[in-house]
Order: sequence, then C-alpha cells, then structure tokens
Amino acid sequence: MSDGDTGRRGALKHLIVVGSAAIGCAIAVPAAVFIAAPVKRGGGGNARWVKTVRLDALREGEPHKVAIVDDERDAWTISRGVELGSVWLVRHGDDVVALSAVCPHLGCAVTALPDATFGCPCHTSTFAADGAKTGGPSPRGMDPLATKIDGGYVAVDFRKFRIGTHDREAIG
Amino acid sequence: MSGPLSRVDAWLDERLGHRAILKHALDEPVIGGARWSYVFGSALTAVFLIQVATGLLLMSAYAPSATTAWASVHYVTYRLAAGWIIRGLHHFGSQAMVVLLGAHLFQVAVFGAYKKPREMNWFLGLALMAVTLGFSLTGYLLPWDQKGYWATRVATNIAGTSPVIGAWLQQLMQGGPEYGNLTLTRFYSLHVGLLPLTLFALLGAHVALFRKHGVTPPHGADRAKIDRFFPRQLGMDLAAAMAVLGVVFLLALREHGAPLDAPADPASDYPARPEWYFLPLFQLLKYLHGPMEIAGTMGVPAVAAGYLVLLPWLDRAPTTALRTRTTYLAPLFAGFAGVAVLLGLAIHDDASDPLFQRARRVADARASTANAMAMSGVPAEGPLTMLAHDPELRGRAIFERSCAQCHVLGDVGDRKKAAAPVLDGWGTEAWVASMMDDPDADDRFGHTPLKGTMPSMLRPAPDRKPDDPPFKPMADAEVRAVAVFLASQSDGDTPGHAVSALARDPDELKKGEAIVTNRCTSCHLWKGEGDDSSQGDAPELSGWGTVAWARAQITNPATKATYREGALDPKTKGHMPRFDEDLSADDIELLARWVHVHARGGTLRARETGERTR
Repeated sequence: MSDGDTGRRGALKHLIVVGSAAIGCAIAVPAAVFIAAPVKRGGGGNARWVKTVRLDALREGEPHKVAIVDDERDAWTISRGVELGSVWLVRHGDDVVALSAVCPHLGCAVTALPDATFGCPCHTSTFAADGAKTGGPSPRGMDPLATKIDGGYVAVDFRKFRIGTHDREAIG
Repeated sequence: MSGPLSRVDAWLDERLGHRAILKHALDEPVIGGARWSYVFGSALTAVFLIQVATGLLLMSAYAPSATTAWASVHYVTYRLAAGWIIRGLHHFGSQAMVVLLGAHLFQVAVFGAYKKPREMNWFLGLALMAVTLGFSLTGYLLPWDQKGYWATRVATNIAGTSPVIGAWLQQLMQGGPEYGNLTLTRFYSLHVGLLPLTLFALLGAHVALFRKHGVTPPHGADRAKIDRFFPRQLGMDLAAAMAVLGVVFLLALREHGAPLDAPADPASDYPARPEWYFLPLFQLLKYLHGPMEIAGTMGVPAVAAGYLVLLPWLDRAPTTALRTRTTYLAPLFAGFAGVAVLLGLAIHDDASDPLFQRARRVADARASTANAMAMSGVPAEGPLTMLAHDPELRGRAIFERSCAQCHVLGDVGDRKKAAAPVLDGWGTEAWVASMMDDPDADDRFGHTPLKGTMPSMLRPAPDRKPDDPPFKPMADAEVRAVAVFLASQSDGDTPGHAVSALARDPDELKKGEAIVTNRCTSCHLWKGEGDDSSQGDAPELSGWGTVAWARAQITNPATKATYREGALDPKTKGHMPRFDEDLSADDIELLARWVHVHARGGTLRARETGERTR
C-alpha cells in the first residue's frame, strides 16, 4: 500500500467518524430537548388566586381544611373546576393564615391535631399553630400562602414548593 | 491509539473480545469492489434505527385512545419543545423507508441477487417489505386525525371484503364492529410491539445471510477486485444515510414537523386519500367496479407478491446478465412503471378536481381551527367535544342544517335555490337602502310570500294605475337617514364595531328616527305599535338587526316581537317557520349571534386564529 493510499484511507476513517457523530447528534440533540421539555413545564404549581370559603365559615383560631378548586392543565388536557390540592386556613379576626397541607419533608398530607397544631402522619413531623416546625424530620416549617378577603370569601395564592429542602422554593 | 484510552480498550478487549468482532464486521470482503448501488440496504437500516429512536420518544408523550390520541399528538407537534422535529423525522422517515425499499428491491432484482444460493434472503427481504408496509398502515391511524382515520377505514373495509373470512378479519383488526378505542390500542400495540420485534428478527436474519453470501456484483464486474467493508463501502453507506437524513430533516423543517388534520370525526364529510405511496392502488380502484373491484384491492397486490416470491424459480439460470433476464424482469419494470403512472394520474385527478379541492379547503380550515383551539387545552371528553363547543363551527353547522335550505349567507346555501333573503349585509345600512329601493329583488323578498307587500320608496309600483296619485321618490338624504338609524340599533351587538356607532352622525340619526317612527309605522311596528298594529306583514323595526331580533325571529316569527301573529298563517306557504321546537334555546342564541356577525362579514372566532407554527 502506497503512502497516498494510507493517507486517503486515514482521511476516510476520519470522515466516517465525523459523519457518524453528525448523524448521532442530529438525532440526539432534538431527542434530549424533547425528553427534557416537560421538566420545565410546571404541573399545576403556578401562582394563582383561588377563591375558597366564606370568611364567616371559619371559626377563630381553629384550623379548617379547604380544597383548592380551579382549572387544571395536564399536558394536553384542560379540566374545569377540579381539586388541585388542599390548604389549612386559620382565622385571626379579619386575617386568615393559610398553610399548604403538603408536608415539606416528603410530601405527605399534614393533618390538624386536637390542640389546633399540625402533624404529619407519615414521619411524625410536628408544627405549631402558625406552621413553625416543632419536631420531627421536616427540614422547615409548613409553607405559608398569601391570603386576601375578596367579597367576603377567602382567596388563597395557591403555590407548590420544593419538597425536602431547608429553604423554601416555589416550583412551577 | 495510545495513552489511557488504549489501555482501557485493551483491558476491555481482554474481557469482551470486541476487537475481533469489530474487525470481523469491518473487514468483510466486498467482491467486485465497493459500490454506490449497495447503499440502499444500509440506508434502510439507518432510517429504521432513527424510526426506533424517534418512535420511542413519541411513545413517551402519546396516549392511544379515541379521546386522547389526537390531543397528545397535537401536544407533541405544537407545544412540546422539539416535539415537532421528532414527529417530523418519524413521519418523513417512514416515507423515506418506503422509497428506499423500492430502490433496494429494484437494485437487488436487477443485479440478480435473488438467485441461488440467496433465495432465502430474497424472501426475508420481501417479508421485511410486508412488515414495513404494516408499519405504515398502523402508524397512519395513530394520530386519530381525519386523514389517518378515513384512509385506514378504507384499508380495513378492504380487508372486510376478503372472501370467507372478511367480516371476521375486519372485526379482528378493528377490535370490534366499529372504530374506537380498541382499534387504536390494537394498531398501537402492533406498531410499537409486534411489528418492531418481527422486523428486528427478520432484519437480523437478513443481515446475517447477507454476510454469509456476500454481495452480488453486477454481471461483468471484476471479481478479483476486493474492497473491505471498512472504510470504502462504509463511507458510501454513511454518506447515503446522511443524504437521506438530510432530506428527511428538510421535509420536516418545511412542514414544521408533520401535518395534523382535524380530529377524527365519523360524522363528517372528508375527502379521504391514503398516504401517497398507496395512491397507485387507490387510483386503480377508480377503474375497477363490481366484481372486478376485488381484483384491484387484493388481486393486483397478490399477483405482485406472487411474482416476487416466484422470481427465483422463474429465473433459474446462473447468469446475472440483464440481457438474458429481460423476460423474467419485465413484470418488475412494468410494475414500477405502472405504479409511477397510476401515482401521476391520482395526483393529476385530484389537482384538476374542483370538488376535491373545495372539500380539501374545508378540511384544512377545520384542521387549522382545531389546531388553534387545542393550543389552550383539550377537554377530557376529547377534541370533538372541543370542536362542538366552538361557536363558529357550531353556528355554521346549525345554519347549514336549519337555515340554508332557504337562506344564503356567505358561502353557505345555494343562491339559485334560495327561497328567502340572502343574509349577507342583513342589519347594515346597505341592506336597509336596498330594501327601500327594491324589496322584491331576488336576494331580498323576491322569492318569498312577502313579495309585493312592501312598496319601493324610490320607484313607482309596477301595477300603478293612471289615476293613482303621482309617485314621488324618497329623497336620498332621507333614505340614508333611515338606513343609518335602523343599522345603528345593532351597533352594540357587534364586538369591535363600537367605533362605527360613534362615527354615526347624531343629526342623521335623529332625522332617521323621526321618519321611521312617523312614516314607516303606517305598515311597520315600532316598539309593538303601528298605525294598524294587528294586521299586515311588515315587521317590527325597533331592535331590527340586533341579535335579540334575530333570536326572536328564529324562535318564533309570529309573536309580534318581529312579525305579527299572522306571519305563520297556514294559508301563506313558504313563510319562515318557528324553530323553538327543533333547536334548543342555546342553539338559537348561538345561531342568532352567528348570523348577526356573519351578515357583517365577521366570524365568531374569538380565540386566537393563527396557528403558532405556520
């Protein structure tokens, strides 16, 4: 084999490697974008004001669990008026404290205890009446949500938060 | 190679022995030298691998059911990042496979590669072709859009005409007597399960047998010349694969993915056509009728398949010289030519058929509406429910069903058969002016029982007697004032037309109101009152042209809200009937709005109309 032949052969080998890599990338790049696309898309975690119950229906200082009912977009489906989650409401005069019912530890549903504090039934985290952490493995207190009174109704700025982190971080 | 990489390679090779496998694969001798003619098989394999990759990705976002399939494909195509390119590659990749399949078959046949000892590989190739066409057929249905739905129904109906087992076979394919969820899940499981497994197995055997027997160089090639598969043949194969992928990418870019027709609607009219590579067979069915039809649907494909299967036995001489084999290959050439001619005819027929073109435009408009609506989500009940709630489409459908036998509005209804006014412009100044000029014109009341009941304000009555008082036409300024005033009543009902209300001259409006309430009421009603309010055929003018007036008229034209109680007198034939017994109140409201807006050249499409992607 002459030097020229060897040179051509070598060049061809390189071209084959480059060509194969080009085909691979042409598929792999859109594939990666495609498969990662829904990660950025929030399921139902976008901030939104949702009307819940009448303020009159809440008893002073007593935790009251309400469902958050709103339209939900789940990928291609749009559903009107479905329950997206629950929130604990505690009335203090004309103010209402809202706490997400999702335990910040690993996402179980937080329940109210007889003494008007909160507890998680999964890993026994406990929270004070204002949501502050009082015991158990939860890395932070319950997640507070903004509220306002709108025409006699309690409106909640419903959000979801990252689970398992010390710092509170809204998602979606 | 040197350094750490080669040490890892050596370490692995001790354990895997991959170097020898790779060497065996790459050093395959290519007798007669590497050739461009050999690239089709490997290009097919490359495209198939792309289909596998893109198919797996699409599976991650596709939901096979009658209510979700279209919505999920829409989501992939228009809303998921890079979804359009993945679906576009898969869509056009499938077409590339059919083209490459034809080229591969042709090349192998012409080179005589079906001859001893390669017959089994020829059969494997034919089986692979059948599996690939199976992929096409099953995949076409999966978006559950009009195109796939209707074309696939034709295919399963053809299967249903098979002798003896037809009905059974059709139900087996459809998963029941009708198209529905089970049709989709069955086609889906074939498309992503059984067919890929079959194809992998057949392809493995095909490649293994090919390696065993090697290439079939063309007659007269220098068999002493031997290339190794690597690098020359591999380089050519790769170049071909890149070229095919490039074309597929370009097509996907041009179409922005792949087309998505309106959601499958069993109740619609749809100009069904199969995918282009089935068009030759489709065209054949136009010529074969009655008992001959089955010759087209099954006979021709069966004869073609039979010929291809028998070819190795028909042409048994060892020589591969093309000259000596023309008799045996003639049907192949004729077949390819026939396919090309029929394809050309099918395309030409459609291009020169105005009815097809019109039906296609209607279908395209529906597709673009559906695609635009679905941008804000599809209800769980499915895309047909979504479309049924579209006021524009529903309004048109009700008008077509209930009004267009007599009325015409826009492109709905037949002007030649119209027995009631053409409604374009109803409620506008132009309409009022035309009524005052010639109420019995063909597009006004000329074909109705009300013909002759309203006098023209601008010309003398045709049956005027010499001793009648002299005719004095109404002044132009007065006609205009009346037109402006009557038309102004519906200004508030027309979204986006508030500006025109402000633009109206207050003096003109006042003048018009005076004429209408003083002079027109000698026949017409004004707020329920007229000079002779219990008789006559002239309708209420207050609120005329509004949605409320139209709603009242559609509900019941004889309540004095529009026409007087006598309007439905059974003695007058051809008057407008009441619709409150046929249509729901909601439908009447929608219809009234649709007529109101369309009479002014608008549409009820409040949503975004432009597809984001086109």
